[in-house]
Amino acid sequence: MLKNYFKIAWRNLVKNKVYSFINISGLSLGLACAMLIILYVKDEVSYDRFHKDGEHIYRIVSQNFNESGVPDGMNSSTGFLQGPRFTEDIPDIKEYVRIQSTRRDVKIGAEVASLDLFYADPNFFSMFTFPVLSGNPKTCLSEPFSVVISEELALTQFGTTNAVGKTMMFRDNEDFVPYTVTAVSQKSPQNSSIKFDMLLPLHVTEKDLANNFNWFNSFLNTFVSLRPGANVSLVNDKMQDLYLAQTSETAKIIKEQYGNNRLPPKHFLQPFTDMHLNKELPAQNGLTDASNPTFSYILSGIALFILLIACINFVNLTVARSVRRSQEIGIRKVVGGKRKQLVFQFLGESFLLCFFAFAMAILLVQLALPIFNGLANKQLSISFLLDAKLVLGYVTLFVITGLLAGFYPALVLSKYSPVDTLYSRFMLSGKNYLQKSLVVLQFTLASLLIICTFVIYEQFNFLTTQELGYDDTDLVLLQKNNLTPDEFDTFKARLASHGNILNVAGKNAGYWFTVAKVGADKQIDFANETVNQSYIPTLGIQLKEGRNFSEDHPSDATQSVLVNESFVKEAGWKDPIGQTVDFWYNDEKYNVIGVVKDYHYESLGLTIRPQLFTMKPSYDLGMLYVKIAPGSATSSIANIEKVFRDMFPFDPYSYHFLEDQNYQSYEAEAKWKQIMLFSAILTIFISCIGLFGLSVLSAEKRTKEIGIRKVLGASINNVVAILSKDFIKLVLVALLISIPVAWAIAHKWLENYPYRIQLGWQVFGIASLLVILIALSTISFQSIRAAVANPSDALKAQ
Amino acid sequence: MLLQLNNLFKWVNSGGQRIFLLKDINLEVEEGEFISIMGPSGSGKSTLLNVIGMLDAFDEGEYHFLDESVHTLKEKHRANLYKEYIGFVFQSYHLLDELTVKENLEMPLIYKNFKGSERKAMVADMLDRFSIVGKKDLFPSQLSGGQQQLVGIARALISNPKLILADEPTGNLNSKQGEEIMDIFKQLNDDGVTIIQVTHSEKNAEYGSRVINLLDGRMI
Ligand SMILES: Nc1ncnc2c1ncn2[C@@H]1O[C@H](COP(=O)(O)OP(=O)(O)O)[C@@H](O)[C@H]1O
Ligand SMILES: [Mg+2]
Repeated sequence: MLKNYFKIAWRNLVKNKVYSFINISGLSLGLACAMLIILYVKDEVSYDRFHKDGEHIYRIVSQNFNESGVPDGMNSSTGFLQGPRFTEDIPDIKEYVRIQSTRRDVKIGAEVASLDLFYADPNFFSMFTFPVLSGNPKTCLSEPFSVVISEELALTQFGTTNAVGKTMMFRDNEDFVPYTVTAVSQKSPQNSSIKFDMLLPLHVTEKDLANNFNWFNSFLNTFVSLRPGANVSLVNDKMQDLYLAQTSETAKIIKEQYGNNRLPPKHFLQPFTDMHLNKELPAQNGLTDASNPTFSYILSGIALFILLIACINFVNLTVARSVRRSQEIGIRKVVGGKRKQLVFQFLGESFLLCFFAFAMAILLVQLALPIFNGLANKQLSISFLLDAKLVLGYVTLFVITGLLAGFYPALVLSKYSPVDTLYSRFMLSGKNYLQKSLVVLQFTLASLLIICTFVIYEQFNFLTTQELGYDDTDLVLLQKNNLTPDEFDTFKARLASHGNILNVAGKNAGYWFTVAKVGADKQIDFANETVNQSYIPTLGIQLKEGRNFSEDHPSDATQSVLVNESFVKEAGWKDPIGQTVDFWYNDEKYNVIGVVKDYHYESLGLTIRPQLFTMKPSYDLGMLYVKIAPGSATSSIANIEKVFRDMFPFDPYSYHFLEDQNYQSYEAEAKWKQIMLFSAILTIFISCIGLFGLSVLSAEKRTKEIGIRKVLGASINNVVAILSKDFIKLVLVALLISIPVAWAIAHKWLENYPYRIQLGWQVFGIASLLVILIALSTISFQSIRAAVANPSDALKAQ
Repeated sequence: MLLQLNNLFKWVNSGGQRIFLLKDINLEVEEGEFISIMGPSGSGKSTLLNVIGMLDAFDEGEYHFLDESVHTLKEKHRANLYKEYIGFVFQSYHLLDELTVKENLEMPLIYKNFKGSERKAMVADMLDRFSIVGKKDLFPSQLSGGQQQLVGIARALISNPKLILADEPTGNLNSKQGEEIMDIFKQLNDDGVTIIQVTHSEKNAEYGSRVINLLDGRMI
């Protein structure tokens, strides 16, 4: 019996090649997407679960409050004190490990490179499960001047993983001091939030440990492990009590000195494994790969879309073929087939198709994995598929798809009475609402994705080409820590001797946000920038009023500031020039001498915030901006490198073009852009092969009608129009549904961007036109074939 | 007695009107009879045949088949009854295009849960009996109409039915092929199989022992 089912199923597959191709290719694409997403989600939820004692590990975090006690943000970092003080007084806490992320200059041969590393407490390897290849994990971080490196770094640094006992030179101010490699660890797993190439022992002075002001500085991650059976909420309460008791003195002082009226933060424990997907308390401060769960949801949604569309093809094509199949069912019933047996036969066919689709899907996953890894920023491998739970998941997916795709046809078609089908009294209801609504659903989803893709492309284009308020072309960015004004002048003078170097400017590294008084009792937050006078002209920032810093006014360095328009607005000044900015906490007052037009110093994903420029010589510059002549990149970069290496032989040299860096700040958008493009192409492709199948079957069914029409004088165009009209109507309905939905989604998404495109009708118009064109060309391919066929053949065949 | 129809009516409702397809049919069929049903197109011949074959329901009256009262039987029982005792032959053969001759013959046996070895023997026997052994691996589309109808009859006979119902079995055949088919029916009837055929041809009707004439769903 089973063999017979298979034989029939196989023959049906081979005989109806178009139908089989559409179903297998559609389903395999859908399944491949689903598999990739399952891989992705599995990886996401597996983060940090490989530690032996993982369920007992927590991170100390806190909830901040404002003056009136309203929650005001979360803080995932802690300072030196939380770990040791809490562990000392709360017995349920077994141990703590503090991890501080930093960057140090390391000498590699004659070169100096800045490398990321962690300072960690000596029991790092007893709390976390990171296999150590050589060296003693218990003691490797106990001694100062020890360093633990990963096997990868050992290979690049020493050419061997057998590196214990070798030395590495770390910069300490002006000198390089030797550190001894005490252990070599395995590469951190892909699904680890803590990924390190180097660990140094965390050193905290006795003085720092005793200083209660350190409760208020948070800059590292503190992990604790609880004893089995510990009650987390009790530990939370105890931590808070301890915190309040130990900070009561210092909190008072801080309140008086700095006017801080915020209520104290509430400390609590965050499970280690909760970190990776937590939006409020993400893996940060050197911890990596923090991920937004929305990403998983949206990807899953898209995979479901694609799978659904593929299953719809299956159902629709089966129903469309049912006139033919119903004859078969009639015969089978007459010779004794029971309904149940027929249901099994149809399910068998659908499972056989699914089986092929599945095999194809695994192949596709293998092929698509590199692209997918790039998009998802992961290193997933096909071997992830060979996991017992996952295999079970795929089997479930297989069964569900098989049932979903086969059940409807099996149940509906097996219902017909043989008398109806064999005597051709049976008519597939001309209306056939189910098929029509399914086609509408497919094209609604496909158009939705296409419109969203258009919107993302446009917004991305806007973000990357928008006027920034300054000129980021031909601007080379260099990093140089602790650059003194004198060094800057020499550097600039030496570069100036090379043609093609148009200007050089300095600024403090990164952005530093602080507060100051801008009126009697008005205080605002702003970015406090330390620059020199060439900064404004080098970047081509526009002055709105007043003047730039100038050598003609020596007092500028100590008394003057420039501010941007947002600053003026926030301060509420009518006449900004001459106003005072009061840094009351270190007793410095400055006069505003100029206002620059707002420019996008951060990504366009952020509103321009107030910005203030000083030229204080006591602050170090950390970044150099070199404006080079257009088209001179190769020679200018070489010159810059020569001068830099010559002047600062012990500093790491690396450069970026500001334009590239700005572009890279839209990496997330670029990724979404690609993901949407892929899914839009996939959905429209699968929808269209389905439509193609339907048009083939419909043309087949209407062969006689077409023949008669042509004999009566219908032109090829007439016939194509007749055959295409019904399908195009469905596509139009789908567009009518998807446009408002897409508009709402796009609108919502764009709200995340303070600077965004206007949603014009053009996006919708062009996307709709595209969908219609694609659908039309799909259908007309078949319609034209039917239309040009010789009518006498068509009539004879009947 | 093989079967008996008493005051049997069948109708359909169309536009609020009751249209009778069969009206007051009374019929007794003894085992071993060879009956021909005749009448103009649309007079209800196929409908009557399908009611007898239990493929179609009726609305009023009684139907006894062997010792069972078909009108009181549940669907499942009825299906078992016709599966066991009745074989169908159609004007347009209704073979499955996807299956070979051999597989078409085997299909009813599969549904009746015969074992593989038994099926093989029975199929071989049939192929032999109808001299189509050479065609066993061909698909229906590779056969002539007469050959296809032979396969159709062989399929109807393969599970040894008591009653063969044939709806214009020679309708699509030329006269020579038709004659061959009728000879086969005659032979079957001589072997004891009861046959009810629908036919338009007086000549074919002469093969039978009795003729039933239908007009507008009524026996005349
Ligand atoms: N289920 C049905 N619904 C409506 N009309 C039917 C149905 N079945 C048969 N008929 C009609 O009943 C009449 C008799 O049909 P049929 O038995 O096929 O005639 P015959 O086989 O004698 O040519 C025809 O007019 C046919 O259209
Ligand atoms: Mg008829």
